[in-house]
Amino acid sequence: MVKYGMHNKMVELYNVDTIYEGEALPAIKDINLEVSRGEFVTVIGPNGSGKTTLLETVNGLQKVTRGKVIVMGQDMSHNSLKVRKEIGYVPQDFISDPSVPFIVRDVVLMGRYGKIGVMRRPNEEDIKIAEEAMRIIGIEEFADRPIGKLSGGEQQKVMIARAIAQEPKLLLLDEPFSNLDIDSKRRISDILCRLHDENGLTTLMVTHDLLSIPKRCERVIVMSRGRIIAEGEPADTIRKIEDLNVMGWSL
Amino acid sequence: MIPLPFQIILTAIVASILAGITCSVVGVFVVQMKLSSIGFCMSHAAFAGAALGLLLSTDPLLTALVFSSIVALVLGPLSERAKLSPEIIIGIMFSLTIGLGFIFLNLSPGVAATQQALGILWGSIFSVTFDDLLLLGLLTFFIIFLLTVFFKELQSLMFNRKLAEASGINTSLFYFLILFLIGVTVAFSLKLVGGLLVFALIVNPASSALQFLYDLRKVMLVSPFIGALTCLVGFLLSLLLNFPIGSSIIIVSSFTFCLSVLLSPKRRRG
Ligand SMILES: Nc1ncnc2c1ncn2[C@@H]1O[C@H](COP(=O)(O)OP(=O)(O)OP(=O)(O)O)[C@@H](O)[C@H]1O
Ligand SMILES: [Mg+2]
Repeated sequence: MVKYGMHNKMVELYNVDTIYEGEALPAIKDINLEVSRGEFVTVIGPNGSGKTTLLETVNGLQKVTRGKVIVMGQDMSHNSLKVRKEIGYVPQDFISDPSVPFIVRDVVLMGRYGKIGVMRRPNEEDIKIAEEAMRIIGIEEFADRPIGKLSGGEQQKVMIARAIAQEPKLLLLDEPFSNLDIDSKRRISDILCRLHDENGLTTLMVTHDLLSIPKRCERVIVMSRGRIIAEGEPADTIRKIEDLNVMGWSL
Repeated sequence: MIPLPFQIILTAIVASILAGITCSVVGVFVVQMKLSSIGFCMSHAAFAGAALGLLLSTDPLLTALVFSSIVALVLGPLSERAKLSPEIIIGIMFSLTIGLGFIFLNLSPGVAATQQALGILWGSIFSVTFDDLLLLGLLTFFIIFLLTVFFKELQSLMFNRKLAEASGINTSLFYFLILFLIGVTVAFSLKLVGGLLVFALIVNPASSALQFLYDLRKVMLVSPFIGALTCLVGFLLSLLLNFPIGSSIIIVSSFTFCLSVLLSPKRRRG
């Protein structure tokens, strides 16, 4: 099998376009991006600029219409299923219906199901890891409640715990703080930093809240209308886009 | 009440229980994954298929299977990508399959065929043979086996397909497995309650169980229990009151559903 790029590259995108089914225009176009193993990268940009599409192109949920996506040295057009077992994903605004028959404990454990593999049951180790994920995120008190009955922020924490329980090598976070209160935001930001520092977890995070970009973050990527329009060291990049006033944002 | 040989009654009882179990297990998927429109179409396609089977003097079960599988293969990918809304699928497929079914029935010659035709429409549990029973038993076993072996994948898929896919589960494979099981179950249950009512047998018990429970494992145990019980009670009711079997099962099953909605803690305050 052909291995693309250097070994220390976690994510490589070469001239990538992604077009949604039934659409004429690409949601992201001409994306070239490399993320090294152990890097913490934050993606910012206005609504509809293609941030979610970028994350879902990386984990192969959206198929590219042009270019190549390589994750952990594997071409995502062939091996996406296998690679996804190593990719944690916290989707944007994920809310369950109040009556769904799934309790929090099971939802968190489900993060590991792909990894465990077909025809195998979760063992004690898997259950322990899921419990630990719930503990560090601070949701163990909800463990036996139906997920649909939790608040938006609580459900968001469940999704983060689920992704952490997966013990991924690459973590994709789509606005993980959008529903969280200030304390939770700080707590979870600290946890993500610790995972990054201690386990060398490669993290790609989308956020609207420039203040919640952790200090660990080595690089900010700015998207607009489906393209990457700026990228670099966080403070510099944010200053640059403020100067450009591309989005009319202020800090 | 017409006296019937004990053996026939026993066969019918076992058949109702088995059909009740399989239909309501499959029903949990149908309800939770919002596959009603596809399932509904499959059941009417199975009816059309069985009618064609009569016309061609082959085994109606076989043609019913073929027809409902075709629906799964055609509508599966379409609805999978949300290219067609469920209303459109139902609107077009329902009339098409029912239309075809009646044409096939109309073309079938002879009085015997008419009797059988009524059987396909409304069910004729007393024509269930020992072989049918064996097949139904195998199907029940097969479905419970798959459910046990692949429970974690199916659970994950039912919770959310995109998340399941993102964590590395082959969701398309399991999605089509589920569609296939719905198709087979529909075709096998046709003899019991008939093509027009089989779908209620799939949806009602699962919907009833989901009124009370928040844990999928429990839903998977309680739903077949409700399914088997309603089929059994419906069957006995039809013997007592001389109702058509399919109708009386559906009446009992709908009543159960209404009762569970009324008693549901999910709909109560405090
Ligand atoms: N399912 C879809 N089908 C068609 N077009 C889509 C779909 N999802 C997104 N798009 C389009 O793709 C573009 C990028 O959307 P995307 O969701 O990636 O933006 P985003 O940067 O995540 O926005 P937000 O900040 O609102 O989350 C938008 O123009 C949107 O209209
Ligand atoms: Mg988004």
